[in-house]
Amino acid sequence: MEIKRLAVSSSPHLHSGDSVQSAMLHVLIALAPAAAFAVYHFGLHVLFVLLTGMAVAIAAEALILRLVKKPMTAIRDGSAAVTGLLLAMNLPAGIPLWTITIGAGLAIGIGKHVFGGLGHNPFNPALVARAILLVSWPERMTAWVGPMLISAATPLSEFRTSRIVPAYGDLLFGFKAGSIGEIAVFLLLLGGAYLIYRRIIDWKIPVSFIGTVALLTYILPAREQSSYFAGNPLFHVLSGGLVLGAFFMATDWTTSPVTKRGRVIMGVGCGILTSVIRLYGGMPEGVSYAILIMNGLTPLIDRYTLGSRSGAR
Amino acid sequence: MRNFRVLMSGIIDENPTFRLLLGMCPTLAVSTAAFNGLGMGLAATAVLLASNVLISLMKPVIPDKIRIPCYVVVIATFVTMVDMVMGAFVPDLHSVLGIFIPLIVVNCIILQRAEAFASKNSVLSSAFDGIGMGLGFTLALVALSSVRELLGAGSIFGVNIMWHSFEPMRLMVSPPGAFIGLGLIIGLINTLRPKKA
Amino acid sequence: MVKSFPGGIHPPYRKEATSALAIERMNPPKTVAIPLQQHIGSRCDPLVAVGDRVLMGHKIGDSSAPISAPVHSSVSGKVTAIEQRPHPNGRTVLSVVIANDFQDEMVALMPAPKLEQLTAEQLTALIREAGIVGMGGGGFPTHAKLKPPQGVVLDAVLLNGAECEPYLTTDHRVMLEWSADVVYGLRCLMKAARVEKGYIGIEVNKPDAIEALKAEAKDYSSIEIVSLAVKYPQGAEIQLIDACLGRKVPSGKLPLHVGVVVNNVHTAQAVAKSLRTGVPSIERVITVAGNCMERPGNLLVRVGTTFADILADRGLKCEPYKLISGGPMMGIAMYSADVAVCKCTSGILALSKDEATYRIPGNCVRCAKCVDVCPMLLHPTFIAQYAERGMMERAEEYGAVDCRECGACTYVCPVNLPLTQHIRLAKSDIYAKRK
Repeated sequence: MEIKRLAVSSSPHLHSGDSVQSAMLHVLIALAPAAAFAVYHFGLHVLFVLLTGMAVAIAAEALILRLVKKPMTAIRDGSAAVTGLLLAMNLPAGIPLWTITIGAGLAIGIGKHVFGGLGHNPFNPALVARAILLVSWPERMTAWVGPMLISAATPLSEFRTSRIVPAYGDLLFGFKAGSIGEIAVFLLLLGGAYLIYRRIIDWKIPVSFIGTVALLTYILPAREQSSYFAGNPLFHVLSGGLVLGAFFMATDWTTSPVTKRGRVIMGVGCGILTSVIRLYGGMPEGVSYAILIMNGLTPLIDRYTLGSRSGAR
Repeated sequence: MRNFRVLMSGIIDENPTFRLLLGMCPTLAVSTAAFNGLGMGLAATAVLLASNVLISLMKPVIPDKIRIPCYVVVIATFVTMVDMVMGAFVPDLHSVLGIFIPLIVVNCIILQRAEAFASKNSVLSSAFDGIGMGLGFTLALVALSSVRELLGAGSIFGVNIMWHSFEPMRLMVSPPGAFIGLGLIIGLINTLRPKKA
Repeated sequence: MVKSFPGGIHPPYRKEATSALAIERMNPPKTVAIPLQQHIGSRCDPLVAVGDRVLMGHKIGDSSAPISAPVHSSVSGKVTAIEQRPHPNGRTVLSVVIANDFQDEMVALMPAPKLEQLTAEQLTALIREAGIVGMGGGGFPTHAKLKPPQGVVLDAVLLNGAECEPYLTTDHRVMLEWSADVVYGLRCLMKAARVEKGYIGIEVNKPDAIEALKAEAKDYSSIEIVSLAVKYPQGAEIQLIDACLGRKVPSGKLPLHVGVVVNNVHTAQAVAKSLRTGVPSIERVITVAGNCMERPGNLLVRVGTTFADILADRGLKCEPYKLISGGPMMGIAMYSADVAVCKCTSGILALSKDEATYRIPGNCVRCAKCVDVCPMLLHPTFIAQYAERGMMERAEEYGAVDCRECGACTYVCPVNLPLTQHIRLAKSDIYAKRK
């Protein structure tokens, strides 16, 4: 057999087959159980919110890619869909569809493409959009509901006013009020474990984040309390957006540190900020702002945790 | 003709807000309502015109080494006059704009035009430059303020024009909205009319 | 206990096609083109002329430079040309072309005395004379490794039996079928380097080889067989020393600076065989594999045989997409099948498009998978991005010269960045500036 043409390129000549698309698919799979539970718990409206979030995000990305004349194939990597879904999961279940539409557009437009697109954004796009929505329509964004979209207080805000702690089983399995994605803690933990197993996310961030929150909420006295070492870490770990944030938002590739030590620092930093905001701040929940602030510090963390740069010997 | 071009460049190609990026502080702070933006713009234009003319007239006698303090004295004089006039004739606007009227003294637009143009050009040209830059600033302020007021309060120049169930986007009337709005407008302008190299 | 190193990847090993196939001697080719440089160091000068008849094992090239090794004829026949020929390193090299007369007439052989009767200097000289170079792919003249510079003390010889590259099963078969020579070769190297301890590191996916060598070495308490985790690049010398001996080679230094000499198992076997029989290094085992091969296998081929002759001998099912000399992670893609097998060629892979497609790069998304797998604990994406922008001093600060070009980073990158290629550019630029 005659050899007419041989492909010549630099070694290595094998590739793992990993792609952004395969990773995003795994993230969607990991989020699916918690999302499904939310539809079951809150009602069908949630399904429309989630789908709208994803659809508008994809459409916004297509529009922007056309405007900036980048290849449309970038849509296929699935990152817009994940951003849209994560944003929707951070919103209260009763959120109107126009709000999630604007939010998804803002997430993709201002959270991501203004900075140059995938890989260039310094802040988590879903959280950027959530922050903008919170400032813009605070009543809508804090109208927490329970099953059948009936208004209800979230465990964290309930705890602030009355110091009542609901049953841990309810907190763990999701029978409570809260944002769409944060309630089914158990299913989120399963999803997070799946992502760690698939090597999509690094365990160091969620473990150090949640661990720090547990430690600090145990040691530090909450505002009205006056004693140290009397906190309720289990309550704090199971409430609010901590598990959702620690496994799915803080671990976002582009906005978290690249070095191993840096990831631990980010997790600890997020944990400290979350705990301080929850215990002493004006809001009952602090996960989103904690992550956004640590996103901003990520380049600095990377720079100072490179270690002995060459060979690390 | 040349003076006309000087005037037009202040409005479009060298717009102090969108191209030169000067006077950002009052721009961001005051542009919450279209009327406020208009008021600030016109006040700054008045000061800019007057100070450009006077500095151009005085250029033979201003010593080079202390020219900046001299400019500031001239500008401060006119700002004080404008401040008193506004307090007398438009007291509501005066109290809304508050501290930003005296801050026109340190508005970089006015100082920059004095240093870069009025001190080197004829009185007539300086006058046209002052009007052009001032108009450019005013137009920029009105544009930004209209967007912010429309999205953030549902009105323009105080007139409610959005549908009754419109929920205003409060971000737009607060500082982050100012930054984002200004950034997006500058991006739009750069796309529609790219800068001449 | 299974030893390992930090980082690394687990590519599909694809060794099933050839790992159970015994070494086959290939029919000698009609012509051989023996490159005068098959080693790191100075090129040999030809010692024969066109028209000369040479015998098998005749020394046809040598150099007086310290880092060099002589080259011998692998057939008997007439020298038909001494000219530039394509070399697996991508360039052309002066080669001696010999027409095989199929007599296989050997030079007068002088087998060496037993190891116990030789001094370290004699052993080193014999190793040089036999033309032995590193046969794992590196091609460093073996005798030069045994003479450390002033002030360096050696205490161990480590044989690389890991064979971590996918497809390749050369070392596996050598260890299994020629275990006695491997152990004897190790003992010779230990004596030549004047060390007391010898190790052979073998990945646990080769249990038969581990057993065979343990049996051969059981009478020698100075030799230890180390079981290694199956991971790429376990066979890279820094990782090998880390896993077997727990010693870390500092940045910019060599194994000899931690007192270790590393050689490939095939090199040790070649040392033993040449001392035992007197025949210099003129043939070696290579793995011929890949989806396009009709009959893959482990072949004993004469040095200087062209890839084209070997592919014709074993048959091609289809036109290969890529033809690789060596393994798929660090091997070099050939632009022509007319290159010759050298003493350091470990395999020929005729890969189809599904096995080795070229992928279009995107832009870095900071996933840090490259950071997680780098066995040298570097940050490949940063080095590569600086290299891409021509900022070579920054690339050097981030440790570009410590990169061993193993390719693990490029293997895992989800956006297909050519990290290894960019780091290579930085390294060549840095070395050029240092001169």
